[in-house]
Amino acid sequence: MTLSELATELEATVLCGEDEQLETEASTVAAGDLMSDILAHMGTPDLLLTGLVTNQAIRTCAVAGIRAMCIVRAKPIPESFVELAREEDLVLMKSDLTLFEASGKLYAHGLRKAVRLA
Amino acid sequence: MDVDFAKTRELLFQLKLSDIIRGEVITMTPDQRMSELRDILRDRRISGVPVMDGAKLLGMVSIEDVIRWLSEGGDDCPVAERMTPSPKTIFADQPLINAIKLFDQLGYGRFPVLDRDSGKLKGIITKGRIIEGMLRKLEKALREEELRQYRASHIFEDIAADYKEIYLTYDVVGKDFERAGTASTQMKRNLKRLGIRPDILHRLAIASYEAEMNVVIYADRGAMEYRITPEEVSLRIQDQGPGIEDLEMAVKPGYSTAADWVRELGFGAGMGLQNIKKCADRMDLSSIPGEGTTLKIRIFTRKNNETN
Repeated sequence: MTLSELATELEATVLCGEDEQLETEASTVAAGDLMSDILAHMGTPDLLLTGLVTNQAIRTCAVAGIRAMCIVRAKPIPESFVELAREEDLVLMKSDLTLFEASGKLYAHGLRKAVRLA
Repeated sequence: MDVDFAKTRELLFQLKLSDIIRGEVITMTPDQRMSELRDILRDRRISGVPVMDGAKLLGMVSIEDVIRWLSEGGDDCPVAERMTPSPKTIFADQPLINAIKLFDQLGYGRFPVLDRDSGKLKGIITKGRIIEGMLRKLEKALREEELRQYRASHIFEDIAADYKEIYLTYDVVGKDFERAGTASTQMKRNLKRLGIRPDILHRLAIASYEAEMNVVIYADRGAMEYRITPEEVSLRIQDQGPGIEDLEMAVKPGYSTAADWVRELGFGAGMGLQNIKKCADRMDLSSIPGEGTTLKIRIFTRKNNETN
């Protein structure tokens, strides 16, 4: 499914991202709040689900080459966070779902974990 | 995408009309006939012609005038009777954006372009001309960018020396979580420009980021020095921090001395050094408690070196 379909599925609001970015296909997802864990074990998924609203979440995406991120649990998101995401060319969305619910919905739609690079 | 749009806007302000108008202008005298105008428009594939009395601009006649003239019977009168007299003009030293505003405001299809000092006719500006000029400039800018990228990614082939090394150094400020990770994200972009393979780039970026976070979390300040050679990228991270009491324990997965607030940032789970070790081809950690820690990482960028 495309990132924009995925946003609909997660009942998410897109905070930044160009139309053509939103039309890219997503098939792999990682979820978690522990950035080291994501960097170490989760390869380069098409989407990161996280509740972590710090600059480190965005930089983790930049470093790992992750192109899209969805903030879960309806966390308040400061404008500076959206601005940094924009600078890093990241698609950023937010959803009221919990991490568990968001992961479950995407899994049910056939999305899977990313294969780690050797 | 954003960048391209900014570039386009920039060009509209940067480019002057004199940069994009054609040198030679086809003109008519006021006594020439409408049938001649029709032939000129058809043969030269243009849409309008200035009417001149010597060097003096009298008016503009266009394809719209020809259509109206034909529909009203096509009586072969002089163009002076059909032209738009004293047309709105624009100076050659003005930026494209001014011409675009004029098109918007007045709805004409073309404007005569004059030299500001002499008042002489320099050319005709149309929307088509603006688009063509912009595309040419954008294409040139794109080619230049490609060339820059090519040069950067082939820098070691382009320069001759017995030993080739590039050093890039960053200062890291402890506890500054706003900026934490900027060195590594910037460095990832730099190394990409230098043509480092994506899979190696991925490992380098992760190792660098974890190391940078360690400095931010534990030390007051530190420096990261990247050394890039045709064979490898090595990274030395030196900090003035508390040092590590037990090096053996420090690299054990899950061992951490991090405070809870560090964990709230998504780090400090005792995986950083493990993660770095996994990404690096060589890792060397040394520390003096109370003075600081030095971490050296090497990642080989040439295939034949990876098995060494």
